[in-house]
Amino acid sequence: MSNQNAAGNVISESTIAICGNPNCGKTTIFNAITGLNQRVGNYPGVTVEKVSGTFSVDSTNKHSFTLVDIPGTYSLSAFSPDEDIAVSALIGSLKDAKSPDGIICVLDATNLERSFAFLLQVIEIGRPIVVAVNMVDLVERRGLKINFEKMSQSLGGIPVVPVIGNRRVGIEELKKAAADLPNRKPITVGTNYGPEAEKLFERLVNESNNGHRNRAEYLRVIFDANSPAEERFLLEEPDLMEVLREGQSRIKEVHGSLSLTETAVLSEKAATLFQEIVTIVRPPKTRNSERIDRVLLHPVFGPIILLLTMIIVFQSIFSWSEPLMNLIDSSFSWLASQVEAVMSPGPLQSLLTDGIIGGVGSVLIFLPQIVILFLFIAILEDSGYMTRAAFLVDRLFRWCGLSGKSFIPLLSSFACSIPGILATRTIEDRKLRYITIMVAPLMTCSARLPIYAIMIAAFIPHKTYLGILNLQGIVLSSLYLLGIVVAVIVSFILKKVIFKTERGTFLMELPSYKIPTVHSVSIRVLNRAKSFLLRAGTVILAITIIIWALSYFPHDGKITHQFASQAETARFELKESTQIYSSRLDNFYESAPVDVRSAVDDIRESFSVGNNIEDFTLIRSQMNEQHNELYGPIEALYEIQRQELATETALTELKNLEAGAYLRNSLLARIGKTLEPAFKPLGWDWKITMAILAAFPAREVAIATIGTIYNLGTETDEESLSLIDKMRQARWDDGPRQGEFVFTPAVALSIMVFFALCLQCGATVVTIRKETSSWWYAWGTFTYMTVLAYVAALGVYQLLERFIY
Amino acid sequence: MTYLNMMVPGQSGRVVGFSDDSKMVRRLYELGIQPGRSIIYLRNAPFRDPLEVQVGYNLITLRKSEASLIAIEVDE
Ligand SMILES: Nc1nc2c(ncn2[C@@H]2O[C@H](COP(=O)(O)OP(=O)(O)O)[C@@H](O)[C@H]2O)c(=O)[nH]1
Ligand SMILES: [Mg+2]
Repeated sequence: MSNQNAAGNVISESTIAICGNPNCGKTTIFNAITGLNQRVGNYPGVTVEKVSGTFSVDSTNKHSFTLVDIPGTYSLSAFSPDEDIAVSALIGSLKDAKSPDGIICVLDATNLERSFAFLLQVIEIGRPIVVAVNMVDLVERRGLKINFEKMSQSLGGIPVVPVIGNRRVGIEELKKAAADLPNRKPITVGTNYGPEAEKLFERLVNESNNGHRNRAEYLRVIFDANSPAEERFLLEEPDLMEVLREGQSRIKEVHGSLSLTETAVLSEKAATLFQEIVTIVRPPKTRNSERIDRVLLHPVFGPIILLLTMIIVFQSIFSWSEPLMNLIDSSFSWLASQVEAVMSPGPLQSLLTDGIIGGVGSVLIFLPQIVILFLFIAILEDSGYMTRAAFLVDRLFRWCGLSGKSFIPLLSSFACSIPGILATRTIEDRKLRYITIMVAPLMTCSARLPIYAIMIAAFIPHKTYLGILNLQGIVLSSLYLLGIVVAVIVSFILKKVIFKTERGTFLMELPSYKIPTVHSVSIRVLNRAKSFLLRAGTVILAITIIIWALSYFPHDGKITHQFASQAETARFELKESTQIYSSRLDNFYESAPVDVRSAVDDIRESFSVGNNIEDFTLIRSQMNEQHNELYGPIEALYEIQRQELATETALTELKNLEAGAYLRNSLLARIGKTLEPAFKPLGWDWKITMAILAAFPAREVAIATIGTIYNLGTETDEESLSLIDKMRQARWDDGPRQGEFVFTPAVALSIMVFFALCLQCGATVVTIRKETSSWWYAWGTFTYMTVLAYVAALGVYQLLERFIY
Repeated sequence: MTYLNMMVPGQSGRVVGFSDDSKMVRRLYELGIQPGRSIIYLRNAPFRDPLEVQVGYNLITLRKSEASLIAIEVDE
């Protein structure tokens, strides 16, 4: 493919796939080559994640390459539907997806024999290949010596590049070799699978009516009986069914097994290659990883360490992020006040400060928590501990209808259920995977935290029991626990009633422990932060603006009119009633001698310092002590100050009433009032109802909406109340409870429980749809969670209202 | 001869063969659990399942149900 770049040069684009066994360092090398030029997508029509990135070798960007990270597999013989898609993308048998122009095959230097078996299969694809031997830094410690020249020779002249992916050693050479791939011819090493298989291969090639298949595709059809690959082939070539079946049973007859025939040939050839290329200098010592496992997988210490790790992770999410969150919070307040200062009041100012800055700011505040959580997940995953954690909890999770492999997805879901749902791809068993997907959104994601944080801070008393148990902490932990307990119950029911799962598998390699590198961890965290910011900048911003518009319009000028005349009256009355004091004071001043005048000036100045009625009373008595002969003027000045203050308070009150009147008259309020009856049993007024309904596309919106509603509903001046105070003062504006406070601990708990259980996240619904290829699962999850949330919130509110508060 | 799931942690042996011919067996084979190779039963997870074994230089985890497919000649 070629097209023109901005400079008018013709640029050519080639696609290069990067493949290898799991944990051989593909992603590390992929990141090293592409840096942040990455994009996550899906293979057309299917659900397997496709990560691609671009790179070029010369600064002119004449040739740009697309690099695709193929999910790791142990062989081209797919074990699960998703592996099938990954493998098909590599082989080139996937519909609508172009097969790669070249392949980088990553071999794990510490596991060369197994890697060779995989490479031999990849060679059969018949594409130009470059071999990257990764982790060469570990070879010496293992007591091995690798002859790279010999390796290239034995593999028919394939370029071989030694690499240390996490230290970027050899990456430039690898890039150059990869860029050269489209100019190279594919090589063959002539692996022979025995006369029966080879004969079948020839017959299939000769009798097929599609001349474009490569040898690897035919080998999949021959050796993987009843596989999707075979199915696809027979769909295209129904006439060859007989030939295939006959050939397959012939192989089985002679070798005793179909699929093991291929593996046996590959292992044998791989073993020969290994002997030619690798010298064992000294026998390996006991594996370090095994020694670490003795502690970390210890029957008693293992689970304790796991529990401690999780406690530390969650503790840090809360404590480390606090200063950063405060910083973000105050910067946004500052920004809003700056905008307010330079702009004249009106719709635009309101949109900017109440809508955009208030709304987006209330979301961005969670960036620190997201970054810290993903930092931990990246470190735990890269170090190799995550797989161990899955090992430790497998049995426990199976009792609940899940698998140890559900652990990582569910843990990630505590940050955000979307990466959690994507992480379920490692679960081969479809049903188990769907169960995990359907309960993942019940884990308390970080988007729920803002609501919890604000409700708890505002309405749950700061009480301590038995010296250490803090009521606010208990409530927060209970909400986390609620999600987990409900998830256990739901997955148990799903397993028993709906999916009726068979036993899954837990067959995998425990990767060796590694020290995670700053580079790979930071790339992962940055990518996460990027997509979070993108979300805050798009979906959440859009909803915030809509909510603002609904709560601002129709901005009926009559309301201002009405309140303006009341304000006028108040100002007029003030003038009237202070008149008598001012004139008295003026008369006194004019006839007074100079020293008395300056005393009066002093008194006047003293009063101007005061702000509230207490100040003024205090100043009055001080002045009376200092100048007891000036009782009259002091009284007059005091009266003037007192009345001015009273009027000012009345005017602010009027402004608030005006803002409240506007809000009550808004479209949002009309919608909210209509819906209020459905949510009144949960203790919610129309404002809460609207905030929570607005949060269905994205939870973070709830706080933004509450912020917008209460900002619009109150006059914001430089001493404006915090959002918490505004909520504490909110009262029912009509109905049987008119005048009572809206928020009680029972209402706060009902809101929090609703949030804990409800699927208020459009992106998650879409992700479930994508991952399961079915709207059924997406809406099924949405429905059960929403119903559960409503019922639980109703129960909590009614119980608490009746029996406790 | 016995099966891997019947062994106790710390025991080692040699893989003899498999008791069926499934995709699972192929994956075991690809992970290095091949006839003739020696295998060390390292440990159980809590609740005695799954288990960790060492084959060659690799650490592998599998469930008891999967281990029951692997026939072993236990070392004396
Ligand atoms: N010592 C060492 N570790 C590496 C090297 N390349 C990658 N790693 C580590 O190996 C682990 C697995 O790498 P990853 O890229 O996730 O493997 P993937 O499963 O193939 O994508 C990570 O902890 C990497 O930091 C290397 O050359 N040397
Ligand atoms: Mg990877």
